[in-house]
Amino acid sequence: MPTISIFQKDFCRLVGRNASMSDIEQWMPYVKGEVKDVSQDTGEVRVELQDTNRPDLWCVEGIARQIRSVLNKGMPPYSFFSDKKGAKRRIQVAQGMETVRPYVAACVSLGYAMTAEGLDQCIQTQEKLADAYGRKRETVSIGLYRYSSISFPVTYGLVKPDEIRFTPLGFEEKMTPHEILTVHPKGLEYGSILAECDRLPLLWDSDGQVLSFPPIINSRELGEVQQGDTDLFVEVTGTDLSMVVLALNIFACNLADRGATIESVNITYPYETEFGTTVKTPLSMNQSQRISLEAIEQALGMPLGSEAIQRALASYGYLVKATRQTVSVTLPAFRNDFMHVMDVAEDVAITRGYDSFSPIMPQSFTVGSLSVEEQTSDRVRDLLVGFGFQEIFSNIMASHQELVDRMRIAETEYAQLVEVDNLMSQTYACLRPSILPCLLRVEALSPRVFYPHLLFEVGETAQLDLEANAGSRTTLSIAAISANSGANFSEIHSYLDLLMYYMVWPYELEPVTHPSFLEGRVGRIRCNGHSVGYIGEFHPEVLEAWQIDMPTSGFEFEIRKPEA
Amino acid sequence: MNSPNNTDSLHPLEIHVLRALGKDPKPLSDLQLATHTELAPSQVSMAVGWLLTKQLVSLSTESTTTYVSLTTVGTQYHQPDSSPLEWIIQTVKNADPEGSPPTVKDLQATGKFQPSELSRAIGILKKEGVLQMGAGGILEITSKDSDIVRDLRNLINQVHEATHPLDSFTSDHQALLRQYAVKRGNTQEPFRIDDHTERTYVLTAEGRNLLPHLREGAAQETSQLTPELLKDGSWRNVSFRKYSINLRPPRLAVGRRHSYREFLDTVKYKLTSMGFQEMRGELIETEFWDMDALFMPQFHPARAIHDVYFVKNPKMAKNIPEPFLSQVAQVHRDGGTSGSKGWKYEYDSERAKRLVLRSQGTAVSARTLAQNPPIPGKFFSIARCFRYDNVDATHATDFFQVEGIVLGSDINFRTLLGLLQLFATEMAQAKEIRFFPAYFPFTEPSVELHVRHPKLGWMELGGAGLFRSEVTIPLGVTVPVIAWGLGLDRMAMVALGIQDIRDLFTSDLEAVRNMRRQF
Repeated sequence: MPTISIFQKDFCRLVGRNASMSDIEQWMPYVKGEVKDVSQDTGEVRVELQDTNRPDLWCVEGIARQIRSVLNKGMPPYSFFSDKKGAKRRIQVAQGMETVRPYVAACVSLGYAMTAEGLDQCIQTQEKLADAYGRKRETVSIGLYRYSSISFPVTYGLVKPDEIRFTPLGFEEKMTPHEILTVHPKGLEYGSILAECDRLPLLWDSDGQVLSFPPIINSRELGEVQQGDTDLFVEVTGTDLSMVVLALNIFACNLADRGATIESVNITYPYETEFGTTVKTPLSMNQSQRISLEAIEQALGMPLGSEAIQRALASYGYLVKATRQTVSVTLPAFRNDFMHVMDVAEDVAITRGYDSFSPIMPQSFTVGSLSVEEQTSDRVRDLLVGFGFQEIFSNIMASHQELVDRMRIAETEYAQLVEVDNLMSQTYACLRPSILPCLLRVEALSPRVFYPHLLFEVGETAQLDLEANAGSRTTLSIAAISANSGANFSEIHSYLDLLMYYMVWPYELEPVTHPSFLEGRVGRIRCNGHSVGYIGEFHPEVLEAWQIDMPTSGFEFEIRKPEA
Repeated sequence: MNSPNNTDSLHPLEIHVLRALGKDPKPLSDLQLATHTELAPSQVSMAVGWLLTKQLVSLSTESTTTYVSLTTVGTQYHQPDSSPLEWIIQTVKNADPEGSPPTVKDLQATGKFQPSELSRAIGILKKEGVLQMGAGGILEITSKDSDIVRDLRNLINQVHEATHPLDSFTSDHQALLRQYAVKRGNTQEPFRIDDHTERTYVLTAEGRNLLPHLREGAAQETSQLTPELLKDGSWRNVSFRKYSINLRPPRLAVGRRHSYREFLDTVKYKLTSMGFQEMRGELIETEFWDMDALFMPQFHPARAIHDVYFVKNPKMAKNIPEPFLSQVAQVHRDGGTSGSKGWKYEYDSERAKRLVLRSQGTAVSARTLAQNPPIPGKFFSIARCFRYDNVDATHATDFFQVEGIVLGSDINFRTLLGLLQLFATEMAQAKEIRFFPAYFPFTEPSVELHVRHPKLGWMELGGAGLFRSEVTIPLGVTVPVIAWGLGLDRMAMVALGIQDIRDLFTSDLEAVRNMRRQF
């Protein structure tokens, strides 16, 4: 979800009417935007855009365009998409690009003198599109150039890493692509995209001047656009043709909205693409879709009628064609997010305003219920609370030190943990296989808190189980501890015994050895012949490891689902 | 309200102390009070404490004196020749003149003192010239007498008789006492030096006014009704002391539900009362159920390594059940039979098996959809979820998501709004609500619900939408389905008076015990 900066004045100019901050807020639903921050002095508004499928809205021009369309009840299509004349300029794609970075799209923007504001917004759009939409330039990256210095045709081809030298943006001296990858900050940041290439992509013109080394860096001579430049050349390269074309379409529309005349560029490929071997860009990729009015009305729960639906869609920027039986719609060329008729239905609802739909209560009768596990948990919790135990509620992630080392079970059969691969911190490295460490953590942190301490938690734990499909099982456990100067086995046993009595869970204790507990004061809890847990006095070494000065005993066992 | 200082409510101990202070015009110390009242010092200090709180007695003077007393070690040293210094001198002196002279090792071998104590004592005696050490650690006594041994002996005898103020000793002796007094890290010393604060008390005007009204024979009053008094009927002949009922009662440690869990309990009871059935899932999920089944493409930015915790071992589930894997793969590729164009990319069936910590409760809903759920049906889960994020005041390592689904042939955008309206009143007692367009990868249309909570003002209560056909069709569901999620943590935090989300799961018992719902 990108967050961008827009400026009130610039925004108003693009919408074509004066707008107060509260107008801007009111219009935000049309673009699924949320105003995060407003600076009254500068008129800067920070807007978060929710829709990851609408990159056209990640810029002030796009937000203004969508709102303008709704306010004006429609928008004329951009003429350069339907320009029948052939393009005057050409990019020749060289053989071999198909395995490196196969696609390019480009256009020329004439007659708009770049303002400081326009330039800032262009750079912001370039970054947001390449970063969030283009997955950090991997699938899409964008370059802007001073058009007047370029001699066409431009070639998009491959060079050996040290074959050529040019001055990259941000540097004074000429460098080879290889040097850029090893020295230039952008080379270091994005170089991994080209990690497996022995020849590198480059754009150069017919005079042999380098435009850029995509997706890493522009040349300083041609690719440093400045305030006041009137004519621009825009190119997008990448690995997915529709994404590359869409990004270019968005850029072209943005510049046109600021007053530029857009001219097309022909891209000629030595290999097939989904749009042929010669692709004129910008290019409208959207085909008209016949939509079912019934499906829309059903989805929205309202018999809106064909007229109203057509009006709403036209307002939102769709091209709408209706015959007597059917309605066909085409998305504007700066969008490519149609997948299902429901996408169209949502646009109808957005245009009309969600508040214009009166809510209806679902009428179906259903029976509510809690799961068996939750009902059992609740009964156990009620009993333990009645026994005088304070309920604890812990995070499930914990450290290896807490779960294993302090429990004295390192390198034993008990040290079986589900661990995470991408650690954020050692504190949260594993899922707890047992709740007792969580309760001991509370005791360790609370030595000055009024005694006695009777604590329990009923909750989920994760058991490593390589036989299971996911390599682990989620289990529900009950754990309780008693920490006070007289805490011992028989005290905690009394509580366990009483709990088992009221739950009607017949059990047996089997004398065992367990490293966390004192020898001779520990038992394995068995229910219906299954080993379900342990009860005992904690070993002084466990208490020392937790820095607990109070004798502590406890039990924990798994609640097994009733066998079917 | 009655004055708390009603004479009837005075404890017999308090009456004794008040009388003693009333008899003597001078301020009295704790010790003097104990003598005058013939009470134990602990009883006096208890009574004085209560009287100070009631402002019947006030502090007159306070002076701190430093006293010297013997420790248990010092009491042992009081026996002749039992301190390390004396013992060494005696042992060396009394060694058999015929045998080999005693060495340091010999002394250590007796085990009478710790080696460190012995070497320190030997050091002192050597320095004073009383003891000499030869080759092989052989010890010999010189003709010189030890001043230190003599002075320490006198001091131990003197302090053994009675505790003395430190300043009653000469400055040389004071230095010696300090040198041989227990300190942090060295408890094997004969003397203890501590500060003792002596306080004296007088009656306040109110205390003095009470004097004529003090009960006679207070000693015969009874504070506690006992089984014996009841059995033999003698309760009729005793009078019961009246209590100061406004004193704070003693603290209790009781059993109680955790406040946040109790909050979630009310949520689950509310949902069941609205006809929702609980679903449960697994903490560890496959990417398939956590994301793919929810039509989040495998190249989706939210699926990058920075949002999800991956499991270390094993990394992959054994299998993904069919026909769901094929159907979901198909819908990602080209929409399959869902009426969608799909995401148009090569779906990676291996990646679908990758194990993650459940990152969203919607995974539980996806599994329910695949289990041929009853229609109409309403389901909810309160699922523990995990996000790969820096833990701070607004991000917990694991947290609960309250979410669910509603299936039915009557489901559409307006019933979705109706359900949200119901949530607003039931969950947040809100009368004013607003709906905003929203984006979730698995719903279309999508709504954000904003409500005006009576305590919190306008807040986002939840997000919802109609599940995309791309989600429902591959899982075998053909009716429309509402997917909803509620964001209740902020409400819980305000209700529990918590600012930091981590405190919902705090390990501080005091905080857990003090936590309570304020609305």
